[in-house]
Amino acid sequence: MPGRAMSHDRPAVMRMPLRTLEKSQGEAPSEISERTKLALFEQTIVPHLSAAYNLAVWLTRNSHDAEDVVQEACLRAFRFFDGFHGDDGKAWLLAVVRNTCHSWLRREKGNKTMVMFDEQMHCSDLDRTNPEGLLLEKVNVGSLRECLNALPLEYREVMILREMEEMSYRDIADLINIPVGTVMSRLSRARRRLEACAAARAAGGLA
Amino acid sequence: MTCSSSEHLLELYLDGELAVRESAEMRKHIGGCSTCANQYQRLEQIRTDIRMHVGRYEPPADLEQRVRAALRKAAVEKKHPGWLLANWMAVAAAVLLCVSIGWNVALLRSHSSANDLLAQEVLSSHLRSLIGAHLMDIPSSDQHTVKPWFNGKLSFAPDVKDFARQGFPLIGGRIEYIDDQPVAALIYQRRQHLINLFMWPAASSSPSGYSAMKKRGYSLVSWTQDGMTCWLVSDVQTSELEQLAQLYK
Repeated sequence: MPGRAMSHDRPAVMRMPLRTLEKSQGEAPSEISERTKLALFEQTIVPHLSAAYNLAVWLTRNSHDAEDVVQEACLRAFRFFDGFHGDDGKAWLLAVVRNTCHSWLRREKGNKTMVMFDEQMHCSDLDRTNPEGLLLEKVNVGSLRECLNALPLEYREVMILREMEEMSYRDIADLINIPVGTVMSRLSRARRRLEACAAARAAGGLA
Repeated sequence: MTCSSSEHLLELYLDGELAVRESAEMRKHIGGCSTCANQYQRLEQIRTDIRMHVGRYEPPADLEQRVRAALRKAAVEKKHPGWLLANWMAVAAAVLLCVSIGWNVALLRSHSSANDLLAQEVLSSHLRSLIGAHLMDIPSSDQHTVKPWFNGKLSFAPDVKDFARQGFPLIGGRIEYIDDQPVAALIYQRRQHLINLFMWPAASSSPSGYSAMKKRGYSLVSWTQDGMTCWLVSDVQTSELEQLAQLYK
């Protein structure tokens, strides 16, 4: 996992509940049982499953694989839960999900040359919730989604973390393990590409 | 503030990354500059479209249940190391197939292969040898002294070579315990740095390829030769370890 995402200089707030829980269960305070670890994991990490899944779909561009990736990432996160010091459960899980996605994509690159058509991915059903704006949004939103999807991985991930998870530059930098300046320039390029792509599609759609 | 100076600040402003004072200046500037105001509006529009209209992907209803079930299973299996080992061997074998040459440091940190777990063990041994007073069981620069010393202590005879002339003098040997077995450790010196060379008979399932990696600032190089798994670890450059590996081969 990216070491910077788990900076050890912040207070280890999660250690408190661990010890407290241990005492209440009458076990040795130095040894954390699997059951306690699981309970704590379910309490601090599992609630961020939805953010994990969203990131996984955007990175893998495939909703079925995203499910597998999330499951694998959770198991991996649980295995290395001792390394979590209670800073930010969501950022920590997202870092593991991101790494798992990258491994998965690297693996996939070898296996697959064609991108499979994924219905949930390529067909937006979200516009339906907005009937009055349907006509106007249909072109824009559909193409914006496609444009976002067409961004290179390193741009796509910063966009999702920033615009959907509303993470700060610092937190994104820690999560990906890159300098803040790089986050800034990737976001900037990603936005420029998105704009250009959406504009090109709008022009194409009107022509 | 001019438009050209504010161009890159515009996004920082949008992302709430500016300090209070800079932020106020920016707000003022946008108020009076139509170019920047337009640009800001476009950036904001992308954000609104993404958040409001593109939206998030919601997980299937049963995903959480499946994850919780998998976690419980993992927690139970952890109590039975035999099971866990078998599982991990299977996972590691699958993962190792997919390890690409360009495997980067960030991923190495994610402990995703058996090789990586082994690397962790090798690095820990190296670090232990440096902090304790137990760097050498047999301090000697003479390969003909070090090699016989291992006799009777290991179930194999390590190949002990000195490379003083090439800048890697042998300074001693020691027995270590890695990968659940006693292994030979040879200590080489490179200027003021120490290098540990660990070796033990390769298991049939162990990866035979050559690998080089960085871990917490330390370089590790591993390979298999003549049925032996070899690991070099040190704080010198990876290229220097590769040089020693070449000599040893």
